[in-house]
Amino acid sequence: MSVITTSALGMAAKGERTARMPFWLQVSTMTWRNLLVAFRTPAALIPSILISVFFTLVYKDLLSGAAAFFLPGKDYLGFVLPISIISASLSGAGVAGQSVVRDIESGYFNKLLLTPISRAAIVLGAILGGAIVLTLQTSVVMLTGLLLGLQPATGIGGVFAVLGYGLLLGMGFAGFTVAIALRSGSAGATQGATFLFFPLTFITATFTPVELLSGWIKTAAQLNPITYLLEAMRALLLTGWEADAMLRGFLTCAALALLMFTFAFFSLRARTQRR
Amino acid sequence: MSNQVNREIVVENLIKRYGDFAAVKGVSFKVESGEIFGFLGPNGAGKSTTVSMLTTLSLPTEGRATVGGYDVVSQAAEVRRIAGVALQEVGIDPLMKAMELLTIQCQTFGMSRKQAQGRAHELLDLVKLSAFMDRRVGKYSGGMRRRLDLALALAHEPEVLFLDEPTTGLDPASRRDIWEEVRRLNTRLGITIFLTTQYLEEADLLANRIAIINNGVIAAEGTPQALKAQLGSESINLTFGDADSVTRAEAELAEMVERTQVDHHTLRLYLSHAANAVPAVVNRVQSVGLVLQSLTLTQPTLDDVFLKVTGERLETKDAPQPAKGSRSRMARAS
Repeated sequence: MSVITTSALGMAAKGERTARMPFWLQVSTMTWRNLLVAFRTPAALIPSILISVFFTLVYKDLLSGAAAFFLPGKDYLGFVLPISIISASLSGAGVAGQSVVRDIESGYFNKLLLTPISRAAIVLGAILGGAIVLTLQTSVVMLTGLLLGLQPATGIGGVFAVLGYGLLLGMGFAGFTVAIALRSGSAGATQGATFLFFPLTFITATFTPVELLSGWIKTAAQLNPITYLLEAMRALLLTGWEADAMLRGFLTCAALALLMFTFAFFSLRARTQRR
Repeated sequence: MSNQVNREIVVENLIKRYGDFAAVKGVSFKVESGEIFGFLGPNGAGKSTTVSMLTTLSLPTEGRATVGGYDVVSQAAEVRRIAGVALQEVGIDPLMKAMELLTIQCQTFGMSRKQAQGRAHELLDLVKLSAFMDRRVGKYSGGMRRRLDLALALAHEPEVLFLDEPTTGLDPASRRDIWEEVRRLNTRLGITIFLTTQYLEEADLLANRIAIINNGVIAAEGTPQALKAQLGSESINLTFGDADSVTRAEAELAEMVERTQVDHHTLRLYLSHAANAVPAVVNRVQSVGLVLQSLTLTQPTLDDVFLKVTGERLETKDAPQPAKGSRSRMARAS
């Protein structure tokens, strides 16, 4: 008589009441959901891709003359592309936080909290979904570079390594916007927060190597994690597999990603603390 | 389904304070297994606050509550496994499709992807949304969204279902659909349904028992019938051909009833169990030679009950939909 009571599947559902979804599956399901939603709002993704491609073109032609001084015989494109990739990653990072704000506003977030899904999976899903979108954006920038004639010193392997750094950095940036979204629940605050990172992309070896900087900006650049990431990417594109630079870059990105995940996780805890 | 399953809700002196403000001031009640319990009250009475405590979204300041035997504070995870919740704000992502939302919902409760998809199809069928499963939820009507929300709340076959104002803001047709659905779920699945509403008609039609909450306290509790019999005012209305007959009838009948009222050629007799008194009233009228033109019975409504227990007026004019018939919406007297 009833669809539900007589259903074998329904019974299965009851039998599974104590079953748990494995953590990795929770994370991949949440990531998939975030990607699904992200690609249904392409208007949010396209501007930051276009602006990144624009900067790549402008930096290349604007500064390649000056670069002859410190990059004799090398391509300025390989020097400037990493900063374009980081900018692309940064300008698109808000998307991850915005999707969390949307979920809070639509009430879907509460719905998820009322299921047995782990809170860490909800946060990780949002961060990973955001980071994957950012990696697609950085891939477009990389492709632009290759089309402009970039010949990476480490070949195709280096290209993927650079994109790997991009993914890790994306997790850090996306984690930051997700954390702000969870803290504030506000679209404006989340969008505004991404600007806090912009100085980091300038107080570093943005257009010249660190050695050519001096004074406070040199000190600041040496403290800035972006510097180590830039050096790792530049090594891959300009000189070759430099283990030291790569490791420093990796550790910096990984530490940033971990820090931001922790920030986001505790922001969720604070938001969902039952009062 | 089996009778051993505990589907009770037991609430003992539940209090919720936000700073100095007490939203719920010591509420106690018990909902039996398989019952539809109507939690009735105006906006701001403490309905949603009570639901948020019972569904583990917020913590009681004092008191205790169990759902299906599990404590809402110390056994929140167990409560979530046996409780289905459709909150007042429909919690669905407008960019997603019904099928996707339901599949994910089922998966989070431990079903495999394949099981989850099968279950999603059943649920879509149950709430009659199968034809729209691949349409983005953002394009759904208000009624469709509520039905989907109901399906989501049922994903894991809850023993207890919490519906927080499930029909607020819906048009009359969608409202009737939801009512039908709620009844169906209750009779077919035997699940306990805790329903909050600010519509008297809704509580009257659906609930086996009702608690009226006002200003954070329970003002009255019982079956709709008992509440109406106890607190409502039933009346027998006799219409005569002339004013003189009315006056004579009033003189004859006043001693039999609690209160009388004359309204043009109609005499209203207020008394409890009015239907039982009809033969005696008719006999007396005939015995003194009066001729009745018509006799009607007025049943008490929950509106009367609410007015009596809270001393507050019911507003019927600003109901969100064109209120046909007896639908009324409670609002605080200003």
